[in-house]
Amino acid sequence: MTRATEAATAGAIALVIYIAAWIGVIPLPQTFYEQILPVLPWWSLVSFGAYSLGSIGYHLMTFEDCPGAYQELMGQIQEAKIELSAKGVPIS
Amino acid sequence: MSAHSVLHIDDTPMTDKYSVLLPTYNERENLPIIVYLLEKTFSQANIDWEIVIIDDASPDGTQDVARALINVYGEDKILLRPRSGKLGLGTAYIYGMQHATGNFIIIMDADFSHHPKFIPQFIRLQKQHDYDIVSGTRYRPGGGVYGWDFRRKLVSRGANFLASTMLRPNASDLTGSFRLYKKHVLARLMEVTVSKGYVFQMEMIVRARQLNFTVGEVPITFVDRLYGESKMGVSEIVQYAEGVWRLFVTV
Ligand SMILES: Nc1nc2c(ncn2[C@@H]2O[C@H](COP(=O)(O)OP(=O)(O)O)[C@@H](O)[C@H]2O)c(=O)[nH]1
Ligand SMILES: [Mg+2]
Repeated sequence: MTRATEAATAGAIALVIYIAAWIGVIPLPQTFYEQILPVLPWWSLVSFGAYSLGSIGYHLMTFEDCPGAYQELMGQIQEAKIELSAKGVPIS
Repeated sequence: MSAHSVLHIDDTPMTDKYSVLLPTYNERENLPIIVYLLEKTFSQANIDWEIVIIDDASPDGTQDVARALINVYGEDKILLRPRSGKLGLGTAYIYGMQHATGNFIIIMDADFSHHPKFIPQFIRLQKQHDYDIVSGTRYRPGGGVYGWDFRRKLVSRGANFLASTMLRPNASDLTGSFRLYKKHVLARLMEVTVSKGYVFQMEMIVRARQLNFTVGEVPITFVDRLYGESKMGVSEIVQYAEGVWRLFVTV
């Protein structure tokens, strides 16, 4: 099953449950029916959007810059150039 | 089952050998240094190694440097396998793998963005869990990137979030190409992978999940290419998004 099929299946199941609740096949308390059901799709959408932004933002903030790795590499490149030149490898 | 299978008793070598595939295109400045660092890492860690250089007729004289390296390190250690033109990375790996004699394959870039010092960690983790693949990751704690501005980080993070959410693979760095593979695992993945360019690495790790190969991860620091250009423009982003969609509907 591809990820697309999985997503479509999950979406279809959610839709069926939602419609069933909407037309009253699933018995629900009146407040849920009146106040939660109409906004549920939007709420899901907004939640997902917020989660996405939060996740990307968090990972952006914690993205390491690794200056140490750069310093280390620079030193090693110098060392390598000296050693390689001594062995007769053309270094530019 | 063929008659050959009966005779085929055990092809597992007594000791492990690691073949590094280095595709090069105009890497005359970088190649000798990366080879130097690889040799140093392997001999310090007492690991059996070879490097397969797949050069696509670089006009800058990369192959002359490669031949000088063969003189220094020996032709059993440095295998120069040139091709007649710039045929792309995907086929370069296939070509390189055909010439590799190790039972493990390490794929990395020749531009220092992948540091050899992580290879012993890859190997250790692979041995501990008998993983089919060990992937370097820039996106887990301990990993990171040097030399990216805010825009580049944002694109990278956004792209990775999109792909991780849609494809849910067993790895956090989908486009990273610093990885260790069991040779037969890589061969199998190459057989089924059809994408080119940026999407190639992503498809490999997504197919790995599909084929139930196990994947371990090692955080790596990634120093973006110092000499020459690394590209990430609008056309790369579009190509990437198309690739994610194609994998979403096919794998
Ligand atoms: N043989 C071969 N190597 C290539 C080709 N294109 C890129 N490379 C090499 O593949 C590695 C990654 O390429 P790079 O330009 O750094 O890609 P990036 O890191 O994704 O921007 C480097 O070692 C390049 O020299 C190609 O067409 N043929
Ligand atoms: Mg690079």
